[in-house]
Amino acid sequence: MKIIEIEDLSHRFSDGTIGLDSINLTIREGEFVVVGGQNGSGKTTLLRHLNGLLLPSAGIVRLAGIPVFKDLPRARQMVGMVFQDTDSQIVGETVYDEVAFGPENLCLKPNDIKRRVSGALKLVGLTHLANQRPNVLSGGEKRRLVIAGILAMEPRILAFDEPFSNLDYPGTIQVLKQILTLHRGGQTILIAVHNLQEVIAFADRLVLMKKGKVLRNGNPYELIEELEGFGIREPCPIRLEMEIQSWLS
Amino acid sequence: MAELTVFGFKPGKSVIHRLDVRFKLIFLIVISLASLKASGMSLFLLTLVLVAVLSHAGLSLKPVMRALGYVFVLLFFIFVARALSTPGDPFIEFKFVSVSREGIQQGALVCWRFFIVVMIGLCFVSTTRPAEIKAATEWFLNPIPFIPEKRVATMMSLIMRFIPVILNQARETADAQRARGVENRKNPVYRLKKLGIPLMRRTFETAEKIAVAMEARCYSENRSDPELSANKRDWLALFMVICLCVFILVM
Ligand SMILES: Nc1ncnc2c1ncn2[C@@H]1O[C@H](COP(=O)(O)OP(=O)(O)O)[C@@H](O)[C@H]1O
Ligand SMILES: [Mg+2]
Repeated sequence: MKIIEIEDLSHRFSDGTIGLDSINLTIREGEFVVVGGQNGSGKTTLLRHLNGLLLPSAGIVRLAGIPVFKDLPRARQMVGMVFQDTDSQIVGETVYDEVAFGPENLCLKPNDIKRRVSGALKLVGLTHLANQRPNVLSGGEKRRLVIAGILAMEPRILAFDEPFSNLDYPGTIQVLKQILTLHRGGQTILIAVHNLQEVIAFADRLVLMKKGKVLRNGNPYELIEELEGFGIREPCPIRLEMEIQSWLS
Repeated sequence: MAELTVFGFKPGKSVIHRLDVRFKLIFLIVISLASLKASGMSLFLLTLVLVAVLSHAGLSLKPVMRALGYVFVLLFFIFVARALSTPGDPFIEFKFVSVSREGIQQGALVCWRFFIVVMIGLCFVSTTRPAEIKAATEWFLNPIPFIPEKRVATMMSLIMRFIPVILNQARETADAQRARGVENRKNPVYRLKKLGIPLMRRTFETAEKIAVAMEARCYSENRSDPELSANKRDWLALFMVICLCVFILVM
């Protein structure tokens, strides 16, 4: 089933900058799609169209058949978005409150909120920190907390913007494992990165962007040769093999 | 901000933890006010009660006292100021400085009251979830017209959440400037400007990001109401607190 359909999407910012230039892209439910491109290529702008944080200058984005602009709350509940800067998206004073923020916005009943929060915390393995303040968590834990906050809203698509930036090696592994677990559970995953090392081995599809355009869209291994032209470092095959093995063990 | 961590919620199952937050907020205000009028004897009683409550709530006294170091410094200055400025029987005289007996008494009393108010605040904060404090604020503001209570409550909790972040950013910016020798410039206005402007810019950028992240999670003013419920235990506690206050005032 096609869960995301993007047709001729263009975005022009108020200062005239072209953010996106006639993008066409379809994503099936359960797919693991990586969007690659150097800084400024339009990845963040593209993700923000999925939940209507930005609205198109031209073209249309449909989620499971319904245009995003027709029902913004639905789009925001359907697409859980993890932003690049963790610190400025954690709004709760405790880990528990942070995860409860989304369900409270959905006007759920107290019991449902409790159930969803404990479920999400369990899924990311932060149950024991429920009463802690977010600023005492490590980088990897913070990012998992943000993911839990999104999961509690029960989205169908998870969109990550540079999920590994500013993370150390253990943090990267924690977050990657989390994403893989969610994908195995059937979630549709969309990841925007400027460095493919961590994720390319798991992607079903690689979408390469440059200057607001989607120029390549296909099997990641067939596109490896072309990465240099997009300002992306080619993942190192030896380290890749090793890391995949250690991550999956 | 490690010094401030005692002023935080400590999960527990004590009676104080389970009291309705609205009642606790009232107790906080009433007892603080009463203690401002209390005599030495009743302050002693109140201290005993507070120590009992603190230990019942699972807070050990030692780390609390250590964390209150700054408060003790402040209390010391209040004490000295009182002791020197109250006229009466001279207790110690040294040249033209004289400390009166009444001054010492007065100073000690004022410090003790102040200390008790701080302890009551500590009791409240460490046994109440921030989300509950927010809910109670919303509840008390609800009957007042022209105040958007939900918005105020959200703002309050965002401020609480982001003060440490902003302080951290301030420290980072200040360090970065010190690394480039800003201390060679003696003009405080210049230095304040150089620190303030980037810090403001960063704070606004952070605020923008928070707003977008909240929007992405469907934030609107129409959200689940917080759960507050009072039962017999809360009314009983209210009765006891009133008795305590009356006792304090008449003693
Ligand atoms: N609010 C904005 N106003 C004007 N231009 C913007 C704005 N946000 C992004 N851009 C521009 O749009 C382009 C794409 O940016 P972005 O989507 O953030 O790229 P990426 O996430 O791939 O690094 C960049 O050239 C950027 O300068
Ligand atoms: Mg970006």
